[in-house]
Amino acid sequence: MAAPCAGMAGRPLGQFLSCFRRTVAVRTGLRQFSASSMCRAASQAATVTERGTSPWNLMAAVCLQRLPVISAESSPLEQRFRHMMQQMELEKSLLSDHELRLLEDAERMSRKQSDDYDSDEEDSGRDQDIVLAQDLDDSWEQKLKNFQPAPRVSADVDKDLSSVQRCLADSLVLLAEQQVGGGKLWLLPQAPWQEGETLRQTAERALASLPAGFSATFLSNAPCGVYKYKLPKAARTDSSEGTKVFFFKAVLSDIAPTTAINAPFMWLQKSELQRYLKPAYMMKVERFILDL
Amino acid sequence: MNHVFGKLQASLTRQVILMNQTLPLSRNMPSIQHPVWSSASEGRYHSMPTHGIGSWKYLLNKKRTQKKKKDRHQMRQIVAATDSTYGTLNVKVSGYDMTLVERYTQYVHHLCNRLRINVSLCYALPTRTTEVMLMQEHGTKMFVDAVLKTHERVVQLNSLNTTVCPVFMDVLLKHQPEGVQLSVSEHTEADFKARFKARPELQELMTNMNQ
Repeated sequence: MAAPCAGMAGRPLGQFLSCFRRTVAVRTGLRQFSASSMCRAASQAATVTERGTSPWNLMAAVCLQRLPVISAESSPLEQRFRHMMQQMELEKSLLSDHELRLLEDAERMSRKQSDDYDSDEEDSGRDQDIVLAQDLDDSWEQKLKNFQPAPRVSADVDKDLSSVQRCLADSLVLLAEQQVGGGKLWLLPQAPWQEGETLRQTAERALASLPAGFSATFLSNAPCGVYKYKLPKAARTDSSEGTKVFFFKAVLSDIAPTTAINAPFMWLQKSELQRYLKPAYMMKVERFILDL
Repeated sequence: MNHVFGKLQASLTRQVILMNQTLPLSRNMPSIQHPVWSSASEGRYHSMPTHGIGSWKYLLNKKRTQKKKKDRHQMRQIVAATDSTYGTLNVKVSGYDMTLVERYTQYVHHLCNRLRINVSLCYALPTRTTEVMLMQEHGTKMFVDAVLKTHERVVQLNSLNTTVCPVFMDVLLKHQPEGVQLSVSEHTEADFKARFKARPELQELMTNMNQ
């Protein structure tokens, strides 16, 4: 696989298309995606095109997102509108079968209570029901009372930055603390590119190298963003002028809480990312993270 | 203000004079100045000068091939996948709540229009009814607890660009409502055939013939 030549600016998408092998992705499933990527032609890995020696180190990073689990809270205006629409629909609606039965039964009961009741005059044509509609209604009410939905927002889970279950109504991005150059930095999990693999495979490797086993579905072969980092002038040599990091988007497949990990991970909303990422990095990263 | 009015009046009167001057010309040479009238006298009644002015079908070629009935339900060509685009993809939206499913399908369709993704078809699969049966508490009989209807809508996309794909999928996933399942798969001929009803008598006759 030819590495992109030097002198490419940080333009994310179009130019890298031709470099990447297309894999046929068949995705099915619910919220959880399962992608089986069948490589089209394995022989393509064998064809090594000319590789100009570029002074840039290549890395691929994965932007792992946990999608929102529940719908977002509605604003006060939306709540009022919803309330009004429900009222209007209720007023315009017709009675359903069950409600008609309720009314009929109530009427029949009142007729039974009256003194001059003759069961032969009953011209409903229907046998006396053993189970009245009202009883059904009561049993359904009871079942509803027994059902306890899980709480939408739990404040203590929200505060735990490393928990996957926090902020169920928003989408979260995974940040890992990795050793980069001199010291430890919080950034999207990345791994250096090796010869003979596609950048997407590098990103998959970056994900797999994390101690916690996250299973994710990559959304595409094309990267969604680029970050270029030039080494300070003192450290620059002929062969390494800096690093280029390509970002790939992935979606977390399973939401089940894994065992407690002591590794440094954080699940952050887009608004919280600013506190932990370097400003230049943040500028490039926030362009492709959708905060919907 | 006044001299503006004066100018207006002058221009108006000038136009009126011009009109008067052209009129005698037109009367002398009717065939050239009013070609409309010559053709109109054939097809149009004098009191309805613009009748049928918008018609154009008579100009088209009348040779239209007769469509046979069995050709009506031909399958559309399945587009093959290339290096930069996916082939024909089916985005299937299914769920129990019909309003949610339909609204979400509409959203998908509008998003495709907005992102200029080619939408080839948008159809619905027949509703499947599921009866949830519970065991009775004191007894062995099962009784019907609930009737659930699963609705399915399919949006078919042709040649989705791989660059637009992650953005598209990301937006779809983030807007997916609760209770609605989304699935993206490739369109196959089996999918197309599944939409038709099975005809058991025809199949019986065919097997009898082949034997």
